[in-house]
Amino acid sequence: MSVLSAGQPADKQAGRRLATVTRQRRLSQTKREWLAAYLFLLPDLLGLLIFIGLPMVLSLSLGFFTVSGFGQYTFTGLANYQKMLVDPLFIGSLQTTAKYVIVLVPGLYVVGLGLALLVKRPIPLIGLFRGMLFLPNVISLVVIGLIWKFLLVDRIGVVNTLFSKIGLGGRSWLGDPNLTLWTLLAVTIWFLMGFYMLIFLAGLQEIPREYYDAARIDGAGPWRSFRDITLPLLKPTSFFVLLVSLVAAVTGPQGFDLVYVMTKGGPANSTNLTTFYIYQQAFLFSNFGYAAAMASVLVFALLVLTGVLFALTKGGRFDFD
Amino acid sequence: MTADQQTAGPQRQSVGLNRRSLIKVGAGAAGGLGLFGPSALPLISRRSAAAQGDALTFWQFYAPGGRVQTQTTWFEDCVAGWNAQNERQVELVYVPNSDYMDGTKLPTAFASGQGPDLFIISPGDFLRYFNGGVLQDLTPFMEKEAIDDFFPDVLASRIVDGKVYGLPMEVEPMAMYYDKAAWDEAGLTDSDIPETWEQLLEVGKRLTNDQRFGVLFETNPGYYQNFTWYPFMWQGGAEIQVPESNKSGMRDPGAVAALKFWQDAVNQGVSPRTELGGGAWNGPANLGTGYCAIQNIGIWSISELRQDAPDLEYGIFKLPVPEGGTYTTDMGGWAFVANSQGKDPEAAAQFIVWALGSMSDDSIQRGVDWCTKAKSDMTPRKSVQDLAVEQGGFESGPLKLFAEEIFPGGRGEPRVTPEIYKSISDAIQAAMLNGVDPEQAAEQAATEIEAYLATYTGAPIL
Repeated sequence: MSVLSAGQPADKQAGRRLATVTRQRRLSQTKREWLAAYLFLLPDLLGLLIFIGLPMVLSLSLGFFTVSGFGQYTFTGLANYQKMLVDPLFIGSLQTTAKYVIVLVPGLYVVGLGLALLVKRPIPLIGLFRGMLFLPNVISLVVIGLIWKFLLVDRIGVVNTLFSKIGLGGRSWLGDPNLTLWTLLAVTIWFLMGFYMLIFLAGLQEIPREYYDAARIDGAGPWRSFRDITLPLLKPTSFFVLLVSLVAAVTGPQGFDLVYVMTKGGPANSTNLTTFYIYQQAFLFSNFGYAAAMASVLVFALLVLTGVLFALTKGGRFDFD
Repeated sequence: MTADQQTAGPQRQSVGLNRRSLIKVGAGAAGGLGLFGPSALPLISRRSAAAQGDALTFWQFYAPGGRVQTQTTWFEDCVAGWNAQNERQVELVYVPNSDYMDGTKLPTAFASGQGPDLFIISPGDFLRYFNGGVLQDLTPFMEKEAIDDFFPDVLASRIVDGKVYGLPMEVEPMAMYYDKAAWDEAGLTDSDIPETWEQLLEVGKRLTNDQRFGVLFETNPGYYQNFTWYPFMWQGGAEIQVPESNKSGMRDPGAVAALKFWQDAVNQGVSPRTELGGGAWNGPANLGTGYCAIQNIGIWSISELRQDAPDLEYGIFKLPVPEGGTYTTDMGGWAFVANSQGKDPEAAAQFIVWALGSMSDDSIQRGVDWCTKAKSDMTPRKSVQDLAVEQGGFESGPLKLFAEEIFPGGRGEPRVTPEIYKSISDAIQAAMLNGVDPEQAAEQAATEIEAYLATYTGAPIL
């Protein structure tokens, strides 16, 4: 409440009151904008907090406990992290995951881009071809795993029968430790390629046709056009594909589901990805604390890898000049 | 600074403070949950569990809606019989087999304090739940006569310090099943039934062709693979743990020879590296489809083959032994157990004893019905065995062979901790499928087991 001083003209005081009201209205407007912004963000923030943030905090804290799986919690500090350093199965699982990531990320990039280039042209029935290539993505991973397991069975499986016709039969695609990870990678790429094809297709369709026409007039061949037009203009798409496929390779559901259904981490731990080993420790051995610690390490590793990707690509701009 | 900015300053500050407060409260809540969450969540969960109805929940993979109707009916009749006589009701909860064994449902339920009141477990999983402190002692609810009625070797893996913590519903010995058509096609006769490992591999070679494997052993890593491998280790005189010591018997020649036997079977092309139908426990999917001519499988397959491969003509023979070895087989089987942290552990224990462990005629007949009518199993109790014989349950066919030749000399499935299981599993996988020298694989397992036993404080490993 404002108090008028003696001797101040009434119109001056009225002017000041008006200015104060105006300021208050302006503040109210700012407040309302803040409020609207927060309200728009609230559902997502709540979802992130409840379903991602909180479990992450709990998981991180669980890593400092020995948890029996039956309600007994003992604080053990860094013991779980020390155990990881000398656990050959954990170290082996990290190596297997590294191989998986190194092959899967570039594999998805090349296959996804290759398919997108193939189905880019508007030829008859192209929608059907695109749909067929995307089809594996809409099928449950468990079903995919079961079907491929059946197709890849030793000796009488469809894959072996076909390969035997070209003299490459007799292999155990899911039973030979030297082959199983590669088989798993092939099935994974087959499953995910349609999704990445669509992403690249969207990127390719953003490139103006005139650039290619101009390049052709200047005498550029298909390879030159691809190298100097397509690839540079696909930088943002490439960054997105690399980022998403990296996350998918390290922690994606296809890694766990296909291993669970097709190999159970075998033969001889050859497909024991870290996500699967975490599952084994938690649900088969009831070592929830150790599993949580390993999950934290995996998330940290993923953060580092993502940071490296950001750094190497200048935040997706690929601007090295 | 303008007047507007001056005015907006405190306002921004006010918003900033609010935001900070919000962050503080959020961080406090998250931190609190982070610090106390591990212990707080099960408490919350237990409260919600207690709020759920009064019926005792019974998790298993048979009913309602199980795959084999006779088994579903047995479970439903058993529970209906109890519910008709008792105020504390029991409710059957079906969990798919694949989610029960090596799955997440049971461990997750216990981890969140919402374990079922009643459930079934195999000896392979006994220590995990016993050492977790969730198994109810059934002894006070049993008559001495009834405890003595169980075959000691069968009950042993469910006893700790003289107290009974689970009652077996069945005994499931392992044997070798063979396809008679494939046998005849290869020119083999009854005199070719193999009695030694060497003979098995020879016969397996004769049965192998480009569409079929001679002999199938389990290849998937897991509790089941270990279970099927143990008898071959025992036949050569080896043990997982040397009795009364913290030494592992995995280095013994018997264990090394058993690893080499399975390795030879794969390396010689007699055994596959993968199987059909989810695993070598599945008779109809493997032997029934002609994928293999001989399959290492348990007694349960009699009823499965009857239902899913009724046209298959098959024979059964005992597990072959190494030169100079002694016959034995592994006898698995599931047991009813009660959750000591459940709604009413005493009532749950009483239900188990009523169902499977009393000397009443009903309880004994229930055992006979399960083992010889609903399923095809050996019985865990003398009185049940006698009544089953009296009622002609083992009079003819494959069950007679199991009762007279395969069951005698068998050993109960060992109970081990998950850590020991994993060391043995890795040795089997390494030797069988990765070409690792069996001696080296066995040495690695023995070293790991001994390191584990040095600090292990739970119930004895058997």
